[in-house]
Amino acid sequence: MTKKAEILFVCGAGLGSSFAAQMSAEDVLNKYKVNAKLDHVDISTAASSKADVIITAQNFESQFKKFSIGETTSIIYLKNIVSKAEIEEKLIPVLQEKGFAEK
Amino acid sequence: MRIVNFIIENILTEASITIALIAMLGLILQKKSVGAVISGTFKTLLGFQVLNAGSGIITGSLTYFGDIFTEGFNMQGIVPSIEAINGQAMNDLGLGREIAFTFLAIFVFNILIARFTPWKYIFLTGQAILWMATMTTIFGYFVGLRGIVLILVGGLVGGIFAVAMPAIAQPIIRKVTDSGELALGHFCTIGYIFEAGVAKVFGERGEKKKSIEDINLPSSFEFLQDTYLSVMVVMVPLYVVTAIFAGPDAVDTGAQNYLMFAFLQAIQFVVGIYVLLAGVRLLLGEIVPAFRGIAMKLVPDAVPALDAPVFFPYSPNAVILGFITTTIGTVIAMFILPTFGLAMILPGMLTNFFAGGTAGIFGNAVGGRRGAIIGGIAHGFFITLLPALLVTILTGMGFINATATDVDTIVAALLYAWILSPILKMF
Repeated sequence: MTKKAEILFVCGAGLGSSFAAQMSAEDVLNKYKVNAKLDHVDISTAASSKADVIITAQNFESQFKKFSIGETTSIIYLKNIVSKAEIEEKLIPVLQEKGFAEK
Repeated sequence: MRIVNFIIENILTEASITIALIAMLGLILQKKSVGAVISGTFKTLLGFQVLNAGSGIITGSLTYFGDIFTEGFNMQGIVPSIEAINGQAMNDLGLGREIAFTFLAIFVFNILIARFTPWKYIFLTGQAILWMATMTTIFGYFVGLRGIVLILVGGLVGGIFAVAMPAIAQPIIRKVTDSGELALGHFCTIGYIFEAGVAKVFGERGEKKKSIEDINLPSSFEFLQDTYLSVMVVMVPLYVVTAIFAGPDAVDTGAQNYLMFAFLQAIQFVVGIYVLLAGVRLLLGEIVPAFRGIAMKLVPDAVPALDAPVFFPYSPNAVILGFITTTIGTVIAMFILPTFGLAMILPGMLTNFFAGGTAGIFGNAVGGRRGAIIGGIAHGFFITLLPALLVTILTGMGFINATATDVDTIVAALLYAWILSPILKMF
C-alpha cells in the first residue's frame, strides 16, 4: 500500500471541466490502484494549494507560471483535459517518481 | 398516518433534504460503503444550503444595484442572473422540491432518449441542468402545471434539450477537437450556432481563412480566464460609475462614503457568485459521477457532453477574443434595445466569458478571424435580445427586474410561454 496522493484539478470557475477531468483521472488511478484524494477548484483558490499534483488545462499555463506554488507540487498541463490516455501518459510517471504509484 | 404527514410536510417540502435523499439513493445504488453514503449525502445537503446562501448574497447586492441604477439613469437596468431567479423560485414560491425532482427527471429522460434514439449524448454539466430545471419548473408552474405533471413535462423538455444541443454543436466540435469522442454540454448552444452562422456569412473563407490561433495575444489579457477576477474587473467600475451618477443620497449607506459602499457591494456580488458556485460544486460532487456511472452502463456507446471550458485549450485565443467581442455586443445591445421599448439588460459577465468564449471558438472555426469578430459582436447582441424578451414575461409572473442568461434555457422558457400556454388555455 503506497501513501495517499493529493491531486487537485483546476479550471476557471472550478466547476465544469476540472470536474470532468477529475472523473476521467479517477478511472486511470483505479487502473493503477493508486490511493489518492481528488478535488477540483477554481484557479484563484489553486494558487494557495498544497496538493502533491495539480492538473489543469494548457491555456492556464502562463498564469500558473506567475503563481508561487510550493516546490513539492508538480503541475501537469493537458491539451485535452478529459483524455484518459493523456492523463495516464503525463500523470502516472509523476506519481511513480513521487512514490504514490508502483513502478 | 401521522408519520406520513410529518414526512410530507417537514421533509419532502425541504428541497435540500429532497436532493440529499436523491444523492443517497444514487450512492446506495452504486453499492458504496456506509461511510461514503453518509459523507456523500451530507455533502450534497451542505452544498444545497451553501448555494442558497450564495444566491441570497447575490440578490442583496443586485437589489442595491437596481436602486442606484434607477436613481442614476432614470431607467430600469437589469443584471441577468439565473442564480437570483433560482433563489427567488425556491424561497418565495416554494418550488425547491419541484426543481430538485425535475433535475432528476431530466437525467432520466436524457438516458432514455440516448438509449432509444440515434442521439447518444449524455449531458454531464450538472449546473446547466440545474438552471434548465429551474426555468422549466417556474414556467410550467405559471402555465398551470402542478405536481407530477409539472416535473414530467420539465423533465421531458430538459431531456430533449440535453441531447439536441450537443447534437447540433457536434459537427463544429468535431472539427475543433479532431475527434468524435467528446460533445459540448452547455445550454448556450443556440447562441453558438447563431455565431457560427454569422461567421459563415461574413467571415473569411477557403484560402483566406486565418485562424486567430496563429497570433500571439498580449499576455496581459490572460487573467481574464480567471472567472472571478474577470467578473470583478467589470462589476467594480459598473457599480462605482453608477453610484457616481446616482449621487450620495440615493441609498442610505450609513456612515460609509457612498462610493466605498458601491465598491464593496460590487465585491459582494462576486462573493455571492463564489459562494454559490462553491455550493454547486459540493452539490454535484456526488450526483454527477453517479449519473455518469448509471448512464454509461445503460447506454454503452454514449458520448459524454461536457462543460464548455473543456474545449478552451483547443482554441485559447478564440476564447479571449470571443469574450471581448461578445462583451462589446452586449454593451451595444444594452443601449440599443431600450430604444425599441425593451428592457435595458446589463452585461452578464459570467455568461459573456463562458458563452462568449465558446462562441468565439465556433466563429473562428467557421469563419476565421473576421468571422470570430463579427460573429462575436452579433452573438453579444443575440444573448442580450433573448433575455430582454424574457423580462416582460417574468415581470408578469412577479419576478421584478429579473432575467436569465443561458439562451437555451430562455428558448425552453419561451416554448412554455408561447406554445404550451396557449394549448393549455384551450382546455
